[in-house]
Amino acid sequence: MTQPAPASPVYWRFNPEVFRLIGIKCNDCGHISYPRTKICHECGSLNLEEYKLAKKGTVHTYCVNWAPPPNFEPPITPVIVDLESGGRYQGLMTETATPEDVKVNSKVEMVLRKLTTDRGLNVYGYKFRLVEED
Amino acid sequence: MRGKVAVIGVGMIKFGELFDKSLETMVQEAYLNCLNNVDKGIDPKEIKAAWFGQWSGGFIGQGAQSGQSLASFIGNRDIPVTRLENGCPTGGDTFRHACLGVASGLYDVVLALGAEKMRDKPSAESLGGAGSGGGAETGSHPAWMMGQGGPAIQALHATRQMYELGYTMEDFARVAVKNHHNGTFCPYAHYQFEVTIERVLGSYVVCWPLHLFDCCPQTDGAAAAIVCRADLAKKYTDKPVYVLGSNVGTDHSQLWDRNSLVEQLSSVKAARGAFEMAGIKPKDVDFGELHDCFTNTELMNIEDVGFARKGEAARMLKDGEFDMHGRLPINPSGGLKSHGHPIAATGLGQIFEVVTQLREEADKRQVKLKKGIGVQHNVGGPAFGVSVFNILSRSQ
Ligand SMILES: [Zn+2]
Repeated sequence: MTQPAPASPVYWRFNPEVFRLIGIKCNDCGHISYPRTKICHECGSLNLEEYKLAKKGTVHTYCVNWAPPPNFEPPITPVIVDLESGGRYQGLMTETATPEDVKVNSKVEMVLRKLTTDRGLNVYGYKFRLVEED
Repeated sequence: MRGKVAVIGVGMIKFGELFDKSLETMVQEAYLNCLNNVDKGIDPKEIKAAWFGQWSGGFIGQGAQSGQSLASFIGNRDIPVTRLENGCPTGGDTFRHACLGVASGLYDVVLALGAEKMRDKPSAESLGGAGSGGGAETGSHPAWMMGQGGPAIQALHATRQMYELGYTMEDFARVAVKNHHNGTFCPYAHYQFEVTIERVLGSYVVCWPLHLFDCCPQTDGAAAAIVCRADLAKKYTDKPVYVLGSNVGTDHSQLWDRNSLVEQLSSVKAARGAFEMAGIKPKDVDFGELHDCFTNTELMNIEDVGFARKGEAARMLKDGEFDMHGRLPINPSGGLKSHGHPIAATGLGQIFEVVTQLREEADKRQVKLKKGIGVQHNVGGPAFGVSVFNILSRSQ
């Protein structure tokens, strides 16, 4: 049993980035990036504004990882999602019956889940689950 | 830099699970092989500077290495030595920096050497280290916290190649079949056996759509090159190989910042700049050693560096164009698929192959030379945002 640390530095960075989904949008080139940054990764502009990402989107790509990093039970399904707000978010799928349920263009939404542990403390963040098609 | 720098010697050791060799032993063997490869001989003291490619440092248990490690290992502590790390292109970029050292006019003869021990840790730990690099614990994006790993990053590309370009897992498997076949002719390869499409597709799924035999192995190795001023090269060898172009290309270091996942702009930029420096076109190239860390990556590379239009590499491979005796042999050495990927040694191992081919000393795997030009390419780093491209030629 790992002795929990008194605090986790990543908690400080995770709020507000992770929980409130605050990224940036570049006023010069339109690039949306997440998490927040001071310089546009795409064009180098400093003319940026905070931009809230949408929780819904469609799967741009995915894979089914049977050899995941330590602390994960295989298989895990990493996805990169094109968000309705613009911008992309990389995360893991959750609550899928089988990995085969996930496809390119599947509609998904973020739900708050435990992601991992940092020195014995739980780290929470968003995962994606499939949205029922109408 | 074009034509100002020549390779006068190359050396490597057989890549593999080298549990009996320390980092120092591997470095010394590659270095001595390299010295012996200078056919008219060289006094080691003529080497006036060195660059030490060493990617993983402490990540997978080889301890933090710096320039002094190489200086000490080779018993030459009177020269400046710099350690270089630049992701999976570390080896190719170590070579580039040695060339820059000569082209700057500061040094006449210099050494580039890369070495990596990947196998002292079990595969999962070694892969985890290789995939997440230093970012896993320090990022502010949750994806970093979850770890990615090389196979997952490339599998995310592969899925998109299947969706956008219509590529199939059979197309990917054909890369493994070709490179494993070539590797059976290379005495330095870690793997020296054939595989079939059926065997690739029947192997464990590591990260769908990639199977075990779509992935290069984790491997120990070391490789080196000695480069010098082009006008001095004939003093050391009858068969100098000249550097026509050399470039590093960069792109985003996060997958979600990139626009296309069927193209790695780092490779596009690296190759474009190197071809521009060399003043030649992709059609002038006789063969290439391209970074096949995963089978789908080789197809992407062939397109990105200008040897095929996007979406055409799979068909050209199927038609045999990239076979050892095809129109444009790709990875006649067997590539990373056969050699494994001891990260900092990989690029210099490819340089070894390109030089050996250009000197027509590649024995059973010798490709046919037309213009006498070969290329070396790596791509990697987080989100595969860094790439190196070197163009070598037997004429100046
Ligand atoms: Zn911008």
